[in-house]
Amino acid sequence: MKHVLIGAAIAAGMVVPATAQEISLGRFFGACEDAGTDTKASVGEACIIQSIINAASAEIDGVTVQTLPTDWGNYYDQIKAAYAGGTPPDVHVMHRHRIPEFAGLGALADLSGDLAAAGIDTSDWAPAALDAVSYNGGVFGVPMDFHANLWHVNMDLMAAAGLVENGKPVLPSSPQEMLEHAQKVKEATGQDYLAADFAQFPIGVRLTLALMWQQGANIFDGDTATINNDAAKNAVTAMTQLFDAGAANPQLNYADSQQAFLNGEAAILVNGTWVVDFYTAEAAKSDVALNNYYVADFPTLFSQGATWADSHMWAVPASLKAKDPAKYNAALKVLAFINDHNIDWARTGHMAVRKSVLDSAEYAALAHRDEYTGTAAIARDTPPSAKYGAIQDVLNRELQAIWLTGKDITAALADAETEVQDLLDR
Amino acid sequence: MMNRGYYALIMVLAVPAFVWMVPTVWMLSLSFQPNDVLARTTSTTALGLIPIPFTLDNFTALFAFGSTPMWFLNSIIVALGMTFGVLAVSSTAGYALARLHFPFKKTVIAVCLLGLMIPEQAVFIPLYTMFADLGWHNSYHALILPRMAVPVGVFLMMQFFKGISDDIEEAARLEGVGWLQIYWYVMLPLARPAMMTLAILTFLYAWNDYLWPLVSAQKPEYFTITLGLASIQSNFAQSEGLGRVMASGVIASLPVVGLFLIFQRYVVRAMSVGGSKG
Repeated sequence: MKHVLIGAAIAAGMVVPATAQEISLGRFFGACEDAGTDTKASVGEACIIQSIINAASAEIDGVTVQTLPTDWGNYYDQIKAAYAGGTPPDVHVMHRHRIPEFAGLGALADLSGDLAAAGIDTSDWAPAALDAVSYNGGVFGVPMDFHANLWHVNMDLMAAAGLVENGKPVLPSSPQEMLEHAQKVKEATGQDYLAADFAQFPIGVRLTLALMWQQGANIFDGDTATINNDAAKNAVTAMTQLFDAGAANPQLNYADSQQAFLNGEAAILVNGTWVVDFYTAEAAKSDVALNNYYVADFPTLFSQGATWADSHMWAVPASLKAKDPAKYNAALKVLAFINDHNIDWARTGHMAVRKSVLDSAEYAALAHRDEYTGTAAIARDTPPSAKYGAIQDVLNRELQAIWLTGKDITAALADAETEVQDLLDR
Repeated sequence: MMNRGYYALIMVLAVPAFVWMVPTVWMLSLSFQPNDVLARTTSTTALGLIPIPFTLDNFTALFAFGSTPMWFLNSIIVALGMTFGVLAVSSTAGYALARLHFPFKKTVIAVCLLGLMIPEQAVFIPLYTMFADLGWHNSYHALILPRMAVPVGVFLMMQFFKGISDDIEEAARLEGVGWLQIYWYVMLPLARPAMMTLAILTFLYAWNDYLWPLVSAQKPEYFTITLGLASIQSNFAQSEGLGRVMASGVIASLPVVGLFLIFQRYVVRAMSVGGSKG
């Protein structure tokens, strides 16, 4: 009888489910209240990611996910405060460039030894994706995308200027050629050649950085700022020559530059991957001037290809791994679920990070994706630094001083170098 | 001559008043335009003010969002809770510092006034960790309690109570009334104008507060309206959902506008007392 009772108790223990784990998940991207669980039907960043999260909550046994949405502009303030107070969400999204800042403080869990057991195959990640989440020998997140600067092209304006061949835009291979193309567009259409957000977000900074990387240069090397040099001057001059020729307007902010492109007032818009689906939808509307939309890799104007890129990735606090292994494992299951739905997230326009997704027919069938496949190979960013944000702010201010107030290029680059060096020395 | 000068002054003042109003009117106008039109241009209005084409979609979308009423309610709870809390703390402290005699009173006043000189950001992280240690984040009291210690409120009430004639208090004492009853039955009724001023300042501050709710309330069920409306914006809302952003601004500011219209007299007085709270 005793054995029967023990056996019954063991059996009961086996059938009783483990305690359900509620995973709190912090993210930006905006809210989507009725995202549902159909990851194939949702549209837009907010609803696609929320549908994936909802599906994870519904489909993973013993795990529910509570989303903690925050607006993008204040996201990192909130996350930092949460870490400082010891109450970070169990899983949260972040940008790849923030890893040194968070992992450097020991805030993020090193996932490298646990991903395989959770069903995440890191060998399926594109090398750049693995590199994006790696820091000091550890893996501090699960990458979700690459988002990079692209050239969004109005093919009608380019065709009017004779800059279309075999159905593809003819893009410049040098700053001089870019100026010639700009003049052709201006003469043929009266419109600007290039638009970008030069006056608000650091898209102009990223554009300039790409042109520096194309010359084999960078803004700092180790602990030394390297901004006041010929490569930086060449990069800045490539842009200012367009302003001087009246082929681009430096006073456009993010919304203005987008409006100019959609209204057919600029042949090229430099913006990220995240707008590809939005522009595709806009171009299909009869009342939008942009009709014939094409997406191109950032062209190589100097000796080697390069464009700015970052990644969205999912991280787990180190404190969760150390203090609550059961919840940590549940968090890894959520990360694995998101990783499994990489193709769904790619519908936002962001590039997938899994090789199996990048090579899939489903991915190739997404609008315009075949037009910027080369971007993955030229994606770059500045070296890892905990001061990334502050450095970018300095560059943005000095570059805007050049193209908005006419500050001397050498003086601005010298000022930027001094300030960045000061940041690196701290 | 007086009339001419008066009207000239009105005309001169009307110019900056109109300029000041333009962003508000612009916000209202944009809130009634479709987002897909605003993504292409913000210049379709008639006379720069009348929204063409016109839509209520931005407002219906916000009110259709299930959490919006809850966030409104949260804002009301937090703003009222903070207002009553500040009134209670400031009036009792102000009364004690102005009318009672106790050891180290001057030191207490000095410490209290020092609080005016410390920016709230300077105590943010200690405050956050203190509430985290107590496990109080994501609660109404976490949103209300840190804002109840308002040095300018104590200073305001202290100055007011100091101005009340000693004869009134003496008369009450002769009737055998204790200091607590004097505070409650004599001083508070007299302090109603100052209390109203402080209440309006506090309510406006509480309604517009963003930074503390941002870090303390991580769960949507504790978001205030300012935080909630910001949280539902997409990353590039200013370019792809501008109408909805503007509608959020209109909705969030409506109670403040209503408060102003009802208590205009007190608001003007409050603003003359001090434009910011410490």
